[in-house]
Amino acid sequence: MEIKDSVVLITGGGNGIGEAVAKFFAKRGAKIAIVDMVQDNIDRVVKEIREMGGEVIGIQANVTSEADTARFIKATLEAFGKLNIAVASAGIIRDSMMLSLDKETGKVSRKMGLDKWQPVIDINLTGTFLTLRDAAEAMVNGDWEGLLVPISSVNKVGQVGQINYSSTKVAAALLPKIIIGEFLIRGIRKIRCVGIAPGYTATTLLTGMNQDMLKALLHDVHIGRLVEPDEIASLIGHCVENGAINATTLEITGGLCYPNGIAK
Amino acid sequence: MKNMIYNDMEFSIDKASRGWDIRRKLAGGEYAFVGAALFEELPDDEAEKQFQLLVQTIYPVGIKIIGPDVTHPNRVGDLRIVGPDVAHPNFVYWKKDSSSFKK
Repeated sequence: MEIKDSVVLITGGGNGIGEAVAKFFAKRGAKIAIVDMVQDNIDRVVKEIREMGGEVIGIQANVTSEADTARFIKATLEAFGKLNIAVASAGIIRDSMMLSLDKETGKVSRKMGLDKWQPVIDINLTGTFLTLRDAAEAMVNGDWEGLLVPISSVNKVGQVGQINYSSTKVAAALLPKIIIGEFLIRGIRKIRCVGIAPGYTATTLLTGMNQDMLKALLHDVHIGRLVEPDEIASLIGHCVENGAINATTLEITGGLCYPNGIAK
Repeated sequence: MKNMIYNDMEFSIDKASRGWDIRRKLAGGEYAFVGAALFEELPDDEAEKQFQLLVQTIYPVGIKIIGPDVTHPNRVGDLRIVGPDVAHPNFVYWKKDSSSFKK
């Protein structure tokens, strides 16, 4: 599929990886629909893409809502007349251990609450499902060539302290297998699905963290640095152009390893 | 430039070097872009109609630009914060214009 003149919808497009993806595709002549919860971020990215000469709209929406999902798909079609690529990059973290123990008694003093579990499941997993489901619906009904892109993460071993986040990212990594299996059974041949699984990425979340902690994280990364959001965007661009990549999740981690040197 | 007041918000559509730019007036009087370089291939009157449709889709009455804070921890001390449940089957996106807009 050609990037130029394709229509790309990006949830979480107001910052981080989503913003980089939006600008990458805009630079190459794609038409961009940015979805985000934060209107100020949408306004900034839409303005910057306009200054680059890109075609763009911004839609404030909650990806966990079916009504909002239907609304941002409708707006994309009203603005550009079609939809080709959906990148579901909206996501949050709410890190916590499942159990915390009292140091003196050794008994459980605190449990991870649903307030930390449910929003992560809702946004990262349900939001991704709704975005990909309704994007696929539009692509099938419009008979357009398409690519669905769930954003996973480190998904084979998970992360301690992120049982909520890791659970959603394992699920996101599996989605392309199931979706394409179902498309095969249903005779849907023009839409591919490729997951992207970034490792530690140079978004403000990590670049702004304690630099000693960041250095410790990078000790286990073979290339010795964070993955740049532009590198992730470039991989998605490659997936668009290479029609044989399908029903899989591609890792882009820079070589994330255990401390003993075994790659994760 | 054409203006439209909808849902108590002011929008403008301007012909740009390529297509049309849609902007939304902010509280401070400045403008933010809703979309850029749109409807290049449409005649002016159709572009204007499409601009109205798009604005009404992006900013449905009753929602404006503020959604439920789904990232909120739900509790502040003893208070439980409950936002509107926009996923509830009884929640309706109102399609009429707001009553405060002078017809």
